[in-house]
Amino acid sequence: MPLSIVVQITVSGALMGLVYALIAYGFQLTYATSKSLNFGQGELVMISAFVSLTLLDTGLPYVAVVPLGIAAGALLGVVVERAAVRLALQQKSEGWILLTIIVGLFLVSFAENVWGRDDRPFPTPIPADPIKIAGVDVTWLEISVAVGVLAIMTLVEVFKRWTLLGKAFEAVSADRDAAELMGISATRTVTLSYALSGAVAAVAGILVSPITTVGPTMAAALVLKAFSVAVVAGLQSGFGVVLVGLVLGALEGLASLYLGSGWRETPGLVLLILALAVRPTGLFGKAIIRKV
Amino acid sequence: MFKRVILQRLVLVRGAETALFVVLGALPLVEHSPYALGLLTLLAIYGVVLIGLDITVGYLGQVNLAQAAMLGLGAYVAGIAATRYGVGIPLAVLLSGGFCTAIGAVLALPALRLEGPQFALATLSFTALSATALNELEWLTNGAQGLSITRPLLLGHALDARGFFWLCIAILALVWLTMRNLMTSQWGRAFEALRDSPIATDAMGVGTYRHKVAGFAFGSGLGGVAGALYAFNFGYLQPQTFVYELTVILLLGVVLGGRKSLWGAVVGAGLVALLPNLLSSHRLFGAFSAIAFVLAVASGVRGLRRRTGAFRALAPIVATLTLVAGSFLVSNIEDWRKAIFALLLFSVVVGMPEGLMGFASAALARLFRVTPPALPPPAALDLVLPARAPDGTILLKLERLSRHFGGVRAVDGVDLAVTAGTIHGLIGPNGSGKSTLVNVVSGLYAPSSGGLRLRGAPLRGGRPVAAARAGIARTFQNLQLFGGMTALDNVMVALRGAWRVPLPFVLLGLGRREELRGQAAALALLDLVGLGDEARTRAADLTYGAQRLLEIARALARRPELLILDEPAAGLAQPDVHRLLEIIRRIHERGITTVLIEHHMDVVSELCDTVTVLDGGKVIAEGPPADIKRDAKVITAYLGADLGAVDPGAAATAPSDLPRAP
Repeated sequence: MPLSIVVQITVSGALMGLVYALIAYGFQLTYATSKSLNFGQGELVMISAFVSLTLLDTGLPYVAVVPLGIAAGALLGVVVERAAVRLALQQKSEGWILLTIIVGLFLVSFAENVWGRDDRPFPTPIPADPIKIAGVDVTWLEISVAVGVLAIMTLVEVFKRWTLLGKAFEAVSADRDAAELMGISATRTVTLSYALSGAVAAVAGILVSPITTVGPTMAAALVLKAFSVAVVAGLQSGFGVVLVGLVLGALEGLASLYLGSGWRETPGLVLLILALAVRPTGLFGKAIIRKV
Repeated sequence: MFKRVILQRLVLVRGAETALFVVLGALPLVEHSPYALGLLTLLAIYGVVLIGLDITVGYLGQVNLAQAAMLGLGAYVAGIAATRYGVGIPLAVLLSGGFCTAIGAVLALPALRLEGPQFALATLSFTALSATALNELEWLTNGAQGLSITRPLLLGHALDARGFFWLCIAILALVWLTMRNLMTSQWGRAFEALRDSPIATDAMGVGTYRHKVAGFAFGSGLGGVAGALYAFNFGYLQPQTFVYELTVILLLGVVLGGRKSLWGAVVGAGLVALLPNLLSSHRLFGAFSAIAFVLAVASGVRGLRRRTGAFRALAPIVATLTLVAGSFLVSNIEDWRKAIFALLLFSVVVGMPEGLMGFASAALARLFRVTPPALPPPAALDLVLPARAPDGTILLKLERLSRHFGGVRAVDGVDLAVTAGTIHGLIGPNGSGKSTLVNVVSGLYAPSSGGLRLRGAPLRGGRPVAAARAGIARTFQNLQLFGGMTALDNVMVALRGAWRVPLPFVLLGLGRREELRGQAAALALLDLVGLGDEARTRAADLTYGAQRLLEIARALARRPELLILDEPAAGLAQPDVHRLLEIIRRIHERGITTVLIEHHMDVVSELCDTVTVLDGGKVIAEGPPADIKRDAKVITAYLGADLGAVDPGAAATAPSDLPRAP
């Protein structure tokens, strides 16, 4: 195997890994405020991509479609929170696991019947031509993914740190009860976190669709790997996901190169189980002290 | 009277079970269509899978997404064993069951340290992994092409469809029996306990982890057994059958049927087997969704009356209304299969979380009132809690024990010796490190440095089960009872040395005598704390004072060398405090060493032989209660440096913290 191919596959894989990182970041946003996450997050990625595709088909320009697609994702996030998460959180149960799975299943079926089961290309103004950077072929599309992922994550972090609403978000994440006592509505903040998480999922969908094509099952594999990234990095750690996403993406490329493309998914799954076994709080997570 | 109760139980409970299996078994004699027989066989197979899944989902309370994978792995093991190696049905079923039990145990070792979402994620990844493996290991599984299997012989006999159905029903009946035996034994109690309070389960020496692993492995094994039957029923296997969608359908079966219920699992299995047929006919589906809608409206109205919240009442109505609308609007229902599952599952989880059988059994219980079997007379207390002669040796010794949290030195180099047979008081202002110290001694926290010895033997910290097995039992300041269990079961689950019958015998139903002995012993302890009449009351329904006393009875069930009472009088009314004093004295008379953490100074001075005072994580005084009350350092710690100026915060939160002025 020539070294150049190995390097090429590692780099392409790593760039894809950034998409996993972005979806994983969406998990962190809701986990921070509510200790819950959306098991149907992949379906949010997929539906937002389909909505954007439909809008593009109507002739709207790309720059107008992107914010609309993101808004659709945010709205879906709110729906998920209202339908599947709030009740369980009120009951202090883990019912949201099952309920978010259910909502996701509904959305898959919805997409299958509304948009069809076939994969469709996603037109984008960003050219797919490769350019050579240090001897490695990188496409503008891949660069747009990397830039987009880092940009949206930075934007959300800035929002959390520098706006009043963002401070409320951080307060609820740190201590829900204390925040409530200070007059912050924890319920609304959790809703906000689901809206943000949905928006982030939509960005992931719009960024990745030109590469993967759009279909009802496009996100099933993506989200499994995003779970791996979130767990390995730790559900609390902000930018740790970027690092883990890059590594996992690269590992995947190498696995399909050396083991065959059918084994592509395995590094993520194995890493996930291993991480849970060895370090359930994640590489960058803090240990939790049980209080009695 | 006594006989009538037994007879009634026999007829109503066992009779209904027997009738179920007789009717199921006899159906093929009346109904000859191969189609119906196929459905019945599927029901039996799903019944086994769902009973297995119910162990984790119902009893352990975790979302298990691996059962479809277990079904698939079991099916492939049996299929490969039969086609490649000519193995017969019995051995193939055993192989599949054994294989999946082993896989389950291996997966459980890491996964079951986890709770909630992490567990769901681990099992989800496992399902994806196993699908990949079945697809990619083509030399073994034939990959995506699928594996064809001819049904092997059963002890030399070829089985026709009816014979195979009877085999499946027989296996389902066997699984039902063993599960019932398991769940009415100490194992079933331990499962329930660890769902209610994992911390207390460990502190009572039951061992959360061991029971979780065993439960998950056993449930997975049942998935494997069902997989073997599945393989021999259909004769053709494909990897993509055993993926995420099947997982969700299996969850639907358990939740819809009713968790923690054998009946629920079989009812759920029937529904899951029927689902595809439901979707094949427009009219059938229309009728079905109409029924679902009416049910949702009925339970919604009931919910609104009982004020369970608008969402719980209305969301299922909206979901089922969508189903009804869909049955009119959609031409090909089959295409919307997943959405229909989702809406159904959503309505059940939100509107009827107890499931169909949970709902039905509550109604039946009101109709028939089956009295639980009578309890045996309480055992003699001397047998349950043998009196020890106090020998005056040092029982517990802490050597320069510290526990830090980041920069906070909660316990900072404490030396402490507790003499056997005494009541040793541990007092100190809020935040002085009492609770942390107790958590270290009972193994919940590992010490940061220093050591502890029990009867001279070093005790490795950080392992509550080990501490409990070594003879330390405790109560919790913030009650950690097993709320869903009766007072009797709360005590029984903690009984030390009472459960000796090995698991295989328990499964065969040979644990009954042990069970009766356990009941008698637990009753004796309940009598000791004055809760003998509340044996059948759910712990969560007891009064606050009774709950505190129940915690003591449960700790005594450990027959402890060292009993730690963590603020047992906190929040008690005055009459209850007197009862408590009386109980602690009786425990003292039996020679049990007690460490008493307490804020009520009167309780401490009345009971304790020695008192240790902590402040800022350090021991500031030690001695008989009378001396402690006069100790200048103690008074300063409680009242602040200036003797007169009472800290208003401390006074407001805990007025009884203040030592009475001499």
